[in-house]
Amino acid sequence: MMSTEELVKITATKTVDARGTACPGPLLEAKKAIGTIKPGDIMEVLSSDEGTKADLPKWCAKQGHEYLGTIEISGYFRIFMRKH
Amino acid sequence: MCLGLFTGSVDKLTAAGVILGGAAAMDMKVDIYVLMQGARAFKKDIGDDAGKLNMAENAALKEEFLQSLKNLKVKTWVEFFKEAKSITDVKIHICGLAGKIWGGEKLEDFIGIVDDIVGIGAYITSAQEADVNLFI
Repeated sequence: MMSTEELVKITATKTVDARGTACPGPLLEAKKAIGTIKPGDIMEVLSSDEGTKADLPKWCAKQGHEYLGTIEISGYFRIFMRKH
Repeated sequence: MCLGLFTGSVDKLTAAGVILGGAAAMDMKVDIYVLMQGARAFKKDIGDDAGKLNMAENAALKEEFLQSLKNLKVKTWVEFFKEAKSITDVKIHICGLAGKIWGGEKLEDFIGIVDDIVGIGAYITSAQEADVNLFI
């Protein structure tokens, strides 16, 4: 896990904007997008769905990706992960 | 995952669709066995026509439920099933008896996402082998 200070400095290879979609939208967007990047690359998912910040860390653990952390901004979350 | 899908109600079918979405995101193999009322919903003349489906609970809330899903840009249950099939290995099997009850004897009587028509033995075997079993 990274600190907020470290997370804000990350430039993700892929940013998925899933804001405005409800569960399981952000999870499915993440699933589709991770296939487009290389192992070791970082992906950032933007979601305004409260459930996503619990969902994506569990999804990362199941799929073997490294969950790096979440930054909470007013109205949405920035969730970072490194592809396995 | 093995899902026994008895329901033909739009609220429960939507719940099944959301669960399928989660399973697809996790690359799970899913076998769906469509039983009784469920087979009616998969008929070509029903499918996404929510007007022909009831609610499993509190029928008076149907309009509010459907309007809310629309406002939240949530997919229809058929779209959820289609999307899950496009991501992971999801097979939809119609129980032969259930199909016959609603006048569906052949595969072409059902919407395109249905894979085959099977007997109950296939469901039991799949349920025995699956790591997750759900009945909706």
